[in-house]
Amino acid sequence: MSQFAQQVVLGLLLGGIYVAVALGFSLVWGILNIVNLAHGALVIVGAYITWDLFTRLHVDPFLSLPVDALTLFVIGYALQRGVINRVIRAPLFFTFLLTFGINLVIVSLLLLIFTADFRSVTPSYSGTGLHLGSVIIPYIRLGGLAVALAMAGVLWAILNRTRIGAAILAVGADRDAAQLVGVDLRHIYALTFAIGAAFAGVAGGIISTFQSITPTAGDPYTLQAFAVVILGGLGRVSATIAGGLAFGLIEVLGQSAPGLGSGFANAIAFVVLVLVLVIRPRGLLGRLA
Amino acid sequence: MTLLAVNDVSKRFGGVNALAGVSFGVDEGDVLGIIGPNGAGKTTLLNCISGLYRPDGGDIRWEAASISGMAPYRIARLGIGRTFQIVRPFPSMTVRENTATGALFGRPHGRLQPAAALAEADEVLGLVGLGEKRDYPVLRLTVPDRKRLEVARALAMRPRLLLLDEVMAGLNDVEVEQALQMIRRVRDRGVTIVLIEHVMKVIVGICNRALVLNFGRTLVEGPPSEVLKDKRVIEAYLGRRYAQDQQPPPRSHPEGAGT
Amino acid sequence: MSAPGRRQPNWRRRITVSVVALALAFVVLAPLTSLDAAQQAGLPLLTDKLWFRLATTVAMFVVLASGWNIIGGLTGYASFGNVAFFGLGAYTVGVLVANRGWPFPLALLAAPLVAAVFALIVGLPLLRLRGHYFAVATLGVGVAVGEVVNNIGPLGASTGLFLPIVRSDIAFFYLMLGAAVLAVVTTWIILRTRFGYGLLAIRENEEAAAVIGVNTTFYKVAAFCVAAALTGLAGGIFAQWNSFINQENVFAISDNVQMILMAVVGGAGTVLGPVAGAIALELIIQTLAGGGSGAVYSQIGLGVLLAACVIFIPRGVIDFFGGRSRLSLRYFRQTLRETSV
Repeated sequence: MSQFAQQVVLGLLLGGIYVAVALGFSLVWGILNIVNLAHGALVIVGAYITWDLFTRLHVDPFLSLPVDALTLFVIGYALQRGVINRVIRAPLFFTFLLTFGINLVIVSLLLLIFTADFRSVTPSYSGTGLHLGSVIIPYIRLGGLAVALAMAGVLWAILNRTRIGAAILAVGADRDAAQLVGVDLRHIYALTFAIGAAFAGVAGGIISTFQSITPTAGDPYTLQAFAVVILGGLGRVSATIAGGLAFGLIEVLGQSAPGLGSGFANAIAFVVLVLVLVIRPRGLLGRLA
Repeated sequence: MTLLAVNDVSKRFGGVNALAGVSFGVDEGDVLGIIGPNGAGKTTLLNCISGLYRPDGGDIRWEAASISGMAPYRIARLGIGRTFQIVRPFPSMTVRENTATGALFGRPHGRLQPAAALAEADEVLGLVGLGEKRDYPVLRLTVPDRKRLEVARALAMRPRLLLLDEVMAGLNDVEVEQALQMIRRVRDRGVTIVLIEHVMKVIVGICNRALVLNFGRTLVEGPPSEVLKDKRVIEAYLGRRYAQDQQPPPRSHPEGAGT
Repeated sequence: MSAPGRRQPNWRRRITVSVVALALAFVVLAPLTSLDAAQQAGLPLLTDKLWFRLATTVAMFVVLASGWNIIGGLTGYASFGNVAFFGLGAYTVGVLVANRGWPFPLALLAAPLVAAVFALIVGLPLLRLRGHYFAVATLGVGVAVGEVVNNIGPLGASTGLFLPIVRSDIAFFYLMLGAAVLAVVTTWIILRTRFGYGLLAIRENEEAAAVIGVNTTFYKVAAFCVAAALTGLAGGIFAQWNSFINQENVFAISDNVQMILMAVVGGAGTVLGPVAGAIALELIIQTLAGGGSGAVYSQIGLGVLLAACVIFIPRGVIDFFGGRSRLSLRYFRQTLRETSV
């Protein structure tokens, strides 16, 4: 029983990471209609920044998160404004291929800069945790969950409480109408992608605290972000939270099933993905398409 | 004899009752016109008949056998052809190839090979007046011609029942007249027709029966000239005030209307 | 009669025909100039083993791009999971030859079968999805199958499988070439039959196809199975040719993207487009790989190439379907105007 409780706690904590990873992905997909295959690579860029600051300047990983956000914001803005905006009106399939190309370039550049060695961030408090009866909650994971929920709050506030957010939602609802009422489409597109990238960067910073990173470590996160969005439903922050937490639970409980193990993370994600797509395409909390 | 019987068919989208129990029958040789304001459920009804939607309730019968929820391709091969209000040609194919697809796949019996289907397409294209444009890419066709192509593709299936979804919308007077003649030629070949139309001239000019839908329900059914004079129909289209002004004494409130 | 896929402007025809003619010339001449055969016949060496390897790889990508073309180009379902068929074909041969001791030719017959059966099973649910959903779900298939294989002990787990080495460059070249010819001929036949018309109708308007009587589910799944069989065949040949397979070399998503790119750049939906695309792009990629310090630069090159193709010719694909495109500076400018904000 206590083992089950531990699994549930771990599942929710892992779910927090998925919420963090999926928020930006969901935003970009929902507003720009782009399934960003480079999302995982952006996550890993954030992770490397945190690693770099930690190893060179001994900056606490949680303190480096704003740096991740800012750097990725700039990268994201440039990518969308300079590259992706050029094909935004082309068939979906092309933005898909384009983001795969961007993914390939980012991963290769990371390989050149950081080599394929495993890197990890180990602050003094890693390995310690909160003991609640027989259940242990690692501090790092708890911090990750807290950051993820804070990110969700920030995204919700941006979208619902600011002028920029109103413009972003308007563009998502109807590109041409938004343009007619004076929204600068290029800028809003770039801004949306930049926010998505910044969120990816923060997620990467969190991830670096409990997982060793390599340049190729991001690809699974792209697929998992997709699964989270499908599971929760597209178009709402609350849906991403629900989808992320549910997905974390499913993965942890699934891996503890007999015969499976941590090597099956993607396979489990995929099965969940297909089941949801086929049975309830709208997701748990999604709006009608 | 009754070819198609629609019994109490309903269809919901979220909280909206697109169809709330529609019933009617189509006899062999009929030309039935379906009219009604925008959003009355006309296209939803055609989608239910042709199998693109599965009705939530009620039953649709073709020659007494139920076809509700049957796959669209099987319904097509029973002999039910249809057109789309917003035309849906296959853009990479020529006019002739587009039409041939109907003959290739829609026949109830006997499989045609492409060569035979193309020959068949030529004949149908003559009937709808596209014979000279048969080698055009679809994208070169004008709007009226694209509507003709929709009809041609459906006709190439040699359907017994043809469902036409607003083939006249957006046409000018001359083009409407040409389209009317085309539909008459189709009817004279023995094809039973159900058509959705906003142009009243068409309903009066060709239909032997008319059916008015409003809010997913059958409002009135009968001969076109009577249906168009019915107060409830005028109300549905133009509002109650207008209807009262037009018709002197308000009679007792007709059952089922306006709710 | 004219099938939809055959309409191409003259200049494109000329280019494709000359590329194919060059390839054929190479095919005829190559064996004579290979190391062993040429030495025996006393002929000058025009090619060496490296070139043979390249030619075999090109032929392999002709199969993969043509296979993808059947589901992606003709049917309009952009599959990112075809590499799973390749991997399954490879592992079928790997297991049967390495673990069960089957003779390679017999094992090779099983490869397309296994891939096609798998396509049937996953195709039924997946082909109900469209657009992004289909693309990512199939991407998931590729990743998931690779991962499962990577975790199964008898399949070599993460170490991979070693097959007994067969040294015959010529044999593998011709085998792969045979598969390529099979793929091209299959596409050619499909485009000339009722089946082909049905696939094109599905690609261009699935609902319209359904109401004129196309059994869309059956057609889509059938196309997926044919694509899978061809791709699985190539995978089976690859397994024996390379004599070593693991998750990385037979389940690489970048291979899937490569086959898409080849088909799309060459002309998706046509018979010879994927062939031309495979030849051209594989040569470029190999050149990139040879130029820099290997794989990393070739990956960057592929990424940039991908971006360039997508940015400059997205309308190209649509135009290629109808045979109305001209590759010129004005065309590029117009394309950019239409697709960007």
